[in-house]
Amino acid sequence: MITDAQRFQPFSDEPIRLIDEGGAWLAPFSCDLDDDTLIGLYRHMVLGRMVDERLVRLQRLGKSSFVAPSSGHEAAQVGIAGAVHVGSDWIYPYYRDTALALAVGWPLVDMLGQMMGTRADPARARQMPAHPGSRALNMFTVASPIASHVPVAVGTAIAQKLAGAGDATVCTFGDGATSEGDWHAGLNFAGAQGAPIVFVCENNRYAISVDLQHQTGSPNVAAKAHAYGMPGYLVDGMDVLASYLVMRDVMAAARDGLGPALVEMTVYRYGPHSSADDDGVYRASEEVAAWRERDPIPRYRRFLEGRKLWDDAREDELRAALKAEIDAAVKASEAAGPVPVEWMFEDVLSRPTPQLERQRERFRAARRAAGEDVEG
Amino acid sequence: MAVQNYVQTIARTLMEEMRRDERVVVLGEDVGKRGGVFLATEHLYDTFGPDRVIDTPLSEAAIIGAAIGMSVYGRRPVAEIQFSDYVYPGFDQLVSQAAKLRYRSGGAFTAPMVVRMPAGGGVKGGHHHSQNPETHFIHTPGLQVVYPSTPNDAKGCLKTSIRGEDPVVFLEPKRLYRALKEDVSDDVDFMLPIGRGVLRREGDDVVLISYGASIGETLKAADALAEQGISADVIDLRWLMPWDENLVLERVAAVWRVVLVSEAPHSGNMMSEVAATIAEEVLDMLEAPPLRVSGFDTPYPYAQDRVYLPGPNRILHAVQQVLDY
Repeated sequence: MITDAQRFQPFSDEPIRLIDEGGAWLAPFSCDLDDDTLIGLYRHMVLGRMVDERLVRLQRLGKSSFVAPSSGHEAAQVGIAGAVHVGSDWIYPYYRDTALALAVGWPLVDMLGQMMGTRADPARARQMPAHPGSRALNMFTVASPIASHVPVAVGTAIAQKLAGAGDATVCTFGDGATSEGDWHAGLNFAGAQGAPIVFVCENNRYAISVDLQHQTGSPNVAAKAHAYGMPGYLVDGMDVLASYLVMRDVMAAARDGLGPALVEMTVYRYGPHSSADDDGVYRASEEVAAWRERDPIPRYRRFLEGRKLWDDAREDELRAALKAEIDAAVKASEAAGPVPVEWMFEDVLSRPTPQLERQRERFRAARRAAGEDVEG
Repeated sequence: MAVQNYVQTIARTLMEEMRRDERVVVLGEDVGKRGGVFLATEHLYDTFGPDRVIDTPLSEAAIIGAAIGMSVYGRRPVAEIQFSDYVYPGFDQLVSQAAKLRYRSGGAFTAPMVVRMPAGGGVKGGHHHSQNPETHFIHTPGLQVVYPSTPNDAKGCLKTSIRGEDPVVFLEPKRLYRALKEDVSDDVDFMLPIGRGVLRREGDDVVLISYGASIGETLKAADALAEQGISADVIDLRWLMPWDENLVLERVAAVWRVVLVSEAPHSGNMMSEVAATIAEEVLDMLEAPPLRVSGFDTPYPYAQDRVYLPGPNRILHAVQQVLDY
């Protein structure tokens, strides 16, 4: 149920914002979150940032082939994660959702196993890095083709509606995804069905190098919701409280059968699109520096400090604890070792085809002939 | 046993499966109140209502994508694409999502679902109502592909597909929808095994291999050969992925001559794969090179609708070549 229908309005010209850059509370209503929740949001943002920074280093060390940096997106992602009922709701993330995946409980060891392609990856090292997924968390496995998960997420939401269990789906994507046909196909079907799904655009203004002005003539992404008969909320995605509380309300509305919503979260990615990108070619360093000044983590820390919930000692303690967790997970994921060659042939269908069996036998024979260890 | 045509059999099989398993849902364009443009979903909407027979927006990406998302959640969707020629907006969903889901998640997520689509020519539909797209799907690991040629096979293969654990591309030869009737099993659990073909006719002189609508022309050619005293084996592959290597290799090794018939464009079609496998496995048993009779490397023509198809005369010409070799 929407706790206060007047609280957040769709289709605003300016992003919904609850704390200012100095961390001061702006809204005309009071913040109803308890201290543990407030601190938990901060902890997850710092975790996301520290993991992202570690992933970049692991890639430079050659331990991971690819990273999609998420720094700058933490407030939006942690806000989304906070609104998910883990285990009953479904999550359809995209490749930049590091902080989101961790905040809903994806184990660090699983994530690092996925990033390094070791046996620690429950998905058996089948995908390139930055492609999370977890059956236990109802977190759908990311696929690279942009927006291809959007119609799939809608199918899950329609099935949730038919099951009548009062659960909802959240589906995230970047700004580039909004230009894909699959994005339209998904939102249109969700609107027609009144499916319990919340679409979230983490709008960082760049699809690799292409800026938003070259992506769409629409004044913003949220406005596109008009066409699908759903509310579109424009939110400051670098304000974790705005991100979380808007998401909490729209997810509750979806669970209550009030239909889908689109939420646009304005964010900025501090790193390049990926470890294979050079963002200096298309963005001025002054622009990046200006957005660095608006970093969502210090901004929210100032809010917590204003409430006497945070200080330097707690910061040091948190970072030391998270560093130890990350170090241990990196070590465990690496120690799990590489996956066996022959896993390549498994999980294509529920049973291998005779065609694939024959290919596998020939492959084995060739390896044996070359003196390789076919069991390895 | 009931005498039914192909499209009636599809509708009645769906009815049986929806009665048996409430997880089964049907979705697509016009599948609800209209009962499908070919009536392949007739009476389902009246029986099961809009929650289980879903009229979708006109979007193949939405139909196939949503079917995947429903199957992930535990439903057993049977999606209809109105003509296989229109599958391409949903092609990415099949190739990038459905086919790779089990693999890319290490078996954590699967997409047990069926995508039905009428395919093939001979209906004066021009290139956008006549194509045979099976090669695209055969070439996509993670999909099963089936193209049954008779009402009874359609029933057995559809039940196997719906009850299976994998995504199935279910191709229906639309020119046979009402062209023939036959006794169809009334066993509600009648299932034909995945990947198994069938010997439609047994002979000693040449093996003719085909599937889908072309089985009709292939049998006509076999009749004409019989009048000349030439006896032909006719294999109906039924399943194109996986396909019945054992049956094909066993018969080709016994008969020594083979002609492969498919109405799909010639280059890289299903029969290219069958011919290559024959060459790899039983070349030394052959008395003549395998010959293919197929469609051509052109878009499907409108005015030459019938002659594009591999008819009996083209099949007979190829048989003569392998006999004379």
